[in-house]
Amino acid sequence: MEALKPAAVAAFEAGAMQGVASVASGAAAAISIQRVAKTYRAADGREIAALSPIDLEIAPGEFVCLLGRSGCGKTTLLNMIAGFVVPTEGAISVGGERVTGPGRGKGVVFQQFGLFPWLTARRNIEFACRQRGLSKSEAREAAADAMTLVKLKGFEDKYPYELSGGMQQRVAIARTLVLDPHILLMDEPFGALDEFTRADMQRELLRIWAARRKTVVFVTHSVAEAVALADRVVVLSPNPGRFKSEYRIESDRPRDRLDPRHIRLEEEIQRDLQ
Amino acid sequence: MISSESHGAWSGSTKPAWLRVPPAAISFAILLGAWEFAVRAGWISDFLFPPPSSLVAAITELGTRGFPDGISLWRHVSVTLARIGAGFSIACATAIPLGIVFGMSPILDRLTHPVITFGRSLAAISVLPLFIAWFGIGELSKIMLLALAAFWVLVTYTIAGVKFVDPVLIRAARSMDATDRTVLLRVVLPAALPRIFTGLKVALAVCFMVIVAAEMIATVEGLGALIKEARNAFRTDITIVGMLVIGALGGATSLMLDALERRLLPWQRASGESS
Repeated sequence: MEALKPAAVAAFEAGAMQGVASVASGAAAAISIQRVAKTYRAADGREIAALSPIDLEIAPGEFVCLLGRSGCGKTTLLNMIAGFVVPTEGAISVGGERVTGPGRGKGVVFQQFGLFPWLTARRNIEFACRQRGLSKSEAREAAADAMTLVKLKGFEDKYPYELSGGMQQRVAIARTLVLDPHILLMDEPFGALDEFTRADMQRELLRIWAARRKTVVFVTHSVAEAVALADRVVVLSPNPGRFKSEYRIESDRPRDRLDPRHIRLEEEIQRDLQ
Repeated sequence: MISSESHGAWSGSTKPAWLRVPPAAISFAILLGAWEFAVRAGWISDFLFPPPSSLVAAITELGTRGFPDGISLWRHVSVTLARIGAGFSIACATAIPLGIVFGMSPILDRLTHPVITFGRSLAAISVLPLFIAWFGIGELSKIMLLALAAFWVLVTYTIAGVKFVDPVLIRAARSMDATDRTVLLRVVLPAALPRIFTGLKVALAVCFMVIVAAEMIATVEGLGALIKEARNAFRTDITIVGMLVIGALGGATSLMLDALERRLLPWQRASGESS
């Protein structure tokens, strides 16, 4: 089977299949996930495995996509890294520090944006600045910079309901970035947006990521999105959620979706998802 | 976003200004005109259905001589409003803080839920004899009755407001290292405000219903007393005036709360559905 694989794809995957082991040996992982599993107890008392034990090491500055269909545990895993959900087994550390709850340098971007509807765009971002202990004037300055970074100058005093979905998500990203987090956790952040806005936002995210070089964990169920964004795509399969495969992508960004290598890679990942 | 072309043919925005009479004004005008006509034509009794013209006369009488003698309409209105103001304030001062505490604690919520459901189902007026025994026959028993009736409503809405805050907002705040205090004061409370405001409006409407019954006992001042005294004197015209005034007051205070809500919660307009 290995012989049938086109050379380009094989090169793509250099070090992919043994990825877990190879990165684990690296000195300081940004995120280290060790034998982490999650079981929920249903109302009738039965235990439901949301995620079977998984190991994952994510290097500083790496952009990792967790990809899979619903029920594969990708959001559960993200929520455990974020500290919203406590793992049933195993341990997660971020920047060498054991995760015991949310915050502490773990920035989160939500699918439903999570903006405070009673605050304007600027005030939403200033809220985050204030939690970091910035003074009022510092917060104002940082918020203005962040609005410029996400190209929302002129919309500072709009309430979230006055902004389009894409703009709301830009505000949410700006709000997370002003926290200067060690890692950026994104839970299907563009899932609620239309196709065109989604492509724009992917480009924007890559531009911001290139400027700030954060470690990113990005949950998606779109193969094309994962291939467009990630250094590494981790494929999970459902019922129970578990590690399936992973792919390393080394081509430069922004990536051409119609590049035959990308098309072939998408097809291959698609097969893993069946 | 709100599309501007969504109104179309039904909006009537192309009509000249003088044609744009509120529909309510038209229906009331027709109703009152027919009423007046039916009485003058002798089709219905002017005692059972005092026509608009005699209502106007009754208002004039209430404004000058007063009813009962010496107690003007203005006096009745101000006494009623003062009682509602006092009862409503007591309800706000107790129900909102308690509702927040109950809503934040799943245990307290479950413990208090049956009591609140019971209290809300209980007709407030049935408690009046007990309240008279506790608080005397004077002002206090009436005010406490209003406070009690408004309390159940307001505490219910406040608990719901606090309980059903979008969990994503709390997670977002937590991921920014917000303290418990910040989460409560800057996230949970503002998020609960729209529901609390709805509770205020419903509680106020309840006060206006309960006050009439409460004022029928041991007082000659207040709109409820006015209606009762008018009944004793067989003055149906004054009964109807009392009824109309209480309705108008209730409507006006409710509109004031609406205006206050739009001012305090400008973000509410569209976010109710979208998020």
